[in-house]
Amino acid sequence: MDADIKWLDDPETFRVNQLPAHSDHHYYGNYAEWAAGASRFTQSLDGQWQFKFAQTPQERLHGFYALDQDTTDFDSITVPSEIEMNDYAQNNYINTLIPWEGKIYRRPAYALSADDTQAGSFSTGSDNTVGMYRRTFDLDPALRGKAVRVRFEGVERAMYLWLNGHFIGYAEDSFTPSEFELTPYIQDEGNVMAVEVFKHSTASWIEDQDMFRFSGIFRSVSLLAQPVTHVEDMTIRPVVADNFKDARFNLSLKLAGERAGSVHIMVKDADGNGLLDQSLPVTTAVDLEDVDFHDVHLWDNHDPYLYQLLVEIRDESGKLLELVPYRFGFRRIEINDDHVVLLNGKRLIINGVNRHEWDDHRGRAITMADMTKDIATFKENNINAVRTCHYPDQIPWYYLCDQNGIYMMAENNLESHATWQKMGAIEPSYNVPGSVSQWKDVVVDRARSNYETFKNHTAILFWSLGNESFAGDNLVTMNQFYKEHDDSRLTHYEGVCHTHDYSKQIPSLDPKGYLPAGGTKDYRDQISDVESWMYLPPKQVEEYLKNNPDKPFMECEYMHDMGNSDGGMGSYIELLDKYPQYFGGFIWDFIDQAIAVKDPISGKEVMRYGGDFDDRHSDYEFSGDGLMFADRTPKPAMQEVRYYYGLHK
Amino acid sequence: MAYTNKLHVIYGDGALGVAGDDFHYIFSYERGGLESMKIKGKEWLYRVPTPTFWRTTTDNDRGNGFNIRSAQWVCADLFQKCVNIDLSVGDHHFDELPVAPRTNDFRGDEEADGVIISYTFETLTSPATHATVSYEVQVDGQIKVGVHYTGKDGLPELPVFGLRLIMPTEATGFTYEGLSGETYPDRMAGVTHGTFAIKGLPVAKYLVPQENGMHMATDWVEITRDTTQNNADHDRTPFKLKVAKDDQPINFSCLPYTAEELENATHLEELPLARRTVLVIAGAVRGVGGIDSWGADVEQKYHISADKDIEFSFIMNAK
Repeated sequence: MDADIKWLDDPETFRVNQLPAHSDHHYYGNYAEWAAGASRFTQSLDGQWQFKFAQTPQERLHGFYALDQDTTDFDSITVPSEIEMNDYAQNNYINTLIPWEGKIYRRPAYALSADDTQAGSFSTGSDNTVGMYRRTFDLDPALRGKAVRVRFEGVERAMYLWLNGHFIGYAEDSFTPSEFELTPYIQDEGNVMAVEVFKHSTASWIEDQDMFRFSGIFRSVSLLAQPVTHVEDMTIRPVVADNFKDARFNLSLKLAGERAGSVHIMVKDADGNGLLDQSLPVTTAVDLEDVDFHDVHLWDNHDPYLYQLLVEIRDESGKLLELVPYRFGFRRIEINDDHVVLLNGKRLIINGVNRHEWDDHRGRAITMADMTKDIATFKENNINAVRTCHYPDQIPWYYLCDQNGIYMMAENNLESHATWQKMGAIEPSYNVPGSVSQWKDVVVDRARSNYETFKNHTAILFWSLGNESFAGDNLVTMNQFYKEHDDSRLTHYEGVCHTHDYSKQIPSLDPKGYLPAGGTKDYRDQISDVESWMYLPPKQVEEYLKNNPDKPFMECEYMHDMGNSDGGMGSYIELLDKYPQYFGGFIWDFIDQAIAVKDPISGKEVMRYGGDFDDRHSDYEFSGDGLMFADRTPKPAMQEVRYYYGLHK
Repeated sequence: MAYTNKLHVIYGDGALGVAGDDFHYIFSYERGGLESMKIKGKEWLYRVPTPTFWRTTTDNDRGNGFNIRSAQWVCADLFQKCVNIDLSVGDHHFDELPVAPRTNDFRGDEEADGVIISYTFETLTSPATHATVSYEVQVDGQIKVGVHYTGKDGLPELPVFGLRLIMPTEATGFTYEGLSGETYPDRMAGVTHGTFAIKGLPVAKYLVPQENGMHMATDWVEITRDTTQNNADHDRTPFKLKVAKDDQPINFSCLPYTAEELENATHLEELPLARRTVLVIAGAVRGVGGIDSWGADVEQKYHISADKDIEFSFIMNAK
């Protein structure tokens, strides 16, 4: 198969030769590798890559991936990093409007009619910058002779991959891992990997998040070799019993490779006491169903107690081939008959923040140090929950939340704001994904990738379908996907509120403010287990709560911390004491998005926001809504958050 | 001057001098206020203190249009029109200010056990109203400052009402007893109470400079400087001015900039080099809000209505 640039224009082509998403477990050759955090099967491709930039697809270097390509005029770029932060392409911050606002007339393919393909929309887009990456590498000795794949943990926004001149595959979805099989073409030495990254594709319509708009390989790249027999996917499903003391443990493994030897499954508590120790023969699938555990130690924010699962794959002689460790907790989230959200049988209160991944020197290419600092800030300030706004985060963040008891709303990479809200009005005339059939598979794929990758993280209590994307049949299908695959979590989506008439529940709301003119189909019964709003004032929150709330209520965004803000927080918090159906919310947001640059006038390092790069249209300082300044120092309002979030810890 | 337990009063032709052992104040008739506050040989005023009616627009203010609705207070804050000066020395109330040639009637050793001088300003608003600043000098040099705003129907809500004192040089820091951190009427639940020493005059690093640094419910604040503008002053020993509550706690901010200087900057680095100390003692402070930044107003109870009187007092050069 050859790469086709027209895939950029086609919402139905979003993954080509990409391996199916699977759980994010690490795997090692033995216990020493696990202790050292260094698997023999993994080879990092982070570091310096050769790089060439083109302003448009037409100007790109065709065939740059060829083995005989002269690369003497290529630059060097660090992977992971943002192309814009390397000063090849212009920084731009924009909120709800689309980045080509006032520059290029586009509509989402098929949104206005079934035969409107919008051919060439992105493949000939004059705003579609291209990054061409090349890297030459030898396989580490431990990877040689094995099946090898490559994993890109995050590439904005569409990528084509070649190895040794052969086309390998294509991926969209900037924020979930993309894996490709390399085995047929990989050599021990002198491999040439080439990646072509386009800033825009049809995915741009559904990645219209309120953020700086970047492109590039902004998360890590690694090679992963497969042991002879390998745990390809793993589903851990701990189920807490009705007495909240006992539990049932379920485990399902999908194995790849040779069908010989045995699988040895162990579960230990935090003191190392064994709760389960079982060996089974290697078959394609290994399932443990409803193993009874008694007197389990439950997991929550105060006591994030984790059990250790160990899966050993051994060959017929008993030699260890692969070790898969995973820590999980027992917890149970549900909605009771009174529409109150319960965690482990007790009322759940979300003292949350929305968190974009941000580093003032690195953009969204954040580091482990950023993540551990953020967790420390959460702990210091009684923040017990995070919404991964508005895309899946780097994988280590989910492990940190498990370990630190941070409740997660794991959000899909989905926001199509520009397609349904115009200058404040709800105007979904060309909304996608909506109910446009050609946009269904791509968004369900995003739901699947989010689920499959992160399904074993205890910290995730909610799957969030996305942000500010209006509603339609395709959102229903996403909701159904989660319902069909996971009965241990709740679904969340705010945008469905724009399809329902709230005149009885929130009488003081002006329908013009939240409903499209002419009405729309009501999806409220089909989407989201919880009633979620953003920025609904306390008085109207109370109206909803007073009028027989039939879904528990939360604010997925509230207390907009732009500049000197966070006044009046107590009016929300006091509602928690009055209405059990209110379960809190996520402050908007955790950290200012601003870029540290050296000011040419003063010579000092200063913060730049939207519009400061001559970027137009921009939403300027609207990028700075954090409880933290962009340099990760707290804003003065943080002491208020620490207090109010401490009241319902 | 020898200790007399009385204030020494100097009847000048354009100003009234009031002095004691270690202080000397000059109340100008021309400048419309306290022109000089010299304590232990150090000058504390750059220009006369004036009522302040503006705080730098916050992102939330801009979002809900408060800055536009209340814009005429910017003008009132920038330009001050003193319309009346009222003086009492001891028990004697001057029906007319003692200016030349009546000043020839006095001598060099005039004394009094108290001086009260008040300045009334007409606001440059439509309709206009008045604010009065009165200084009551006690024999020990403490000044009780009373500030009164006369409410007027038809004026937009105020962002703040207070008295602004600009000091000639930048403070090295300040210490206060009150609430931790930056506080506003609708954001002061999370505080601890105590005495806090602040190094320098920090400006909160909001991306667009805006109102910042307010400290509600304060018992006292003491400002430390170690420089003056006096070319003959070679002493760098730190010196202090204490401002304390009178009958009610005070609200204050202590920054190197006026509200208008902050208002003009779109980034921190556009602010002028810090060279002064701007102390605002506020009798009324509007909340900052937080419901959203594109329309939601500050909660009603944290607004400052312009149709009601506002009155507050505090002690300058508090002992």
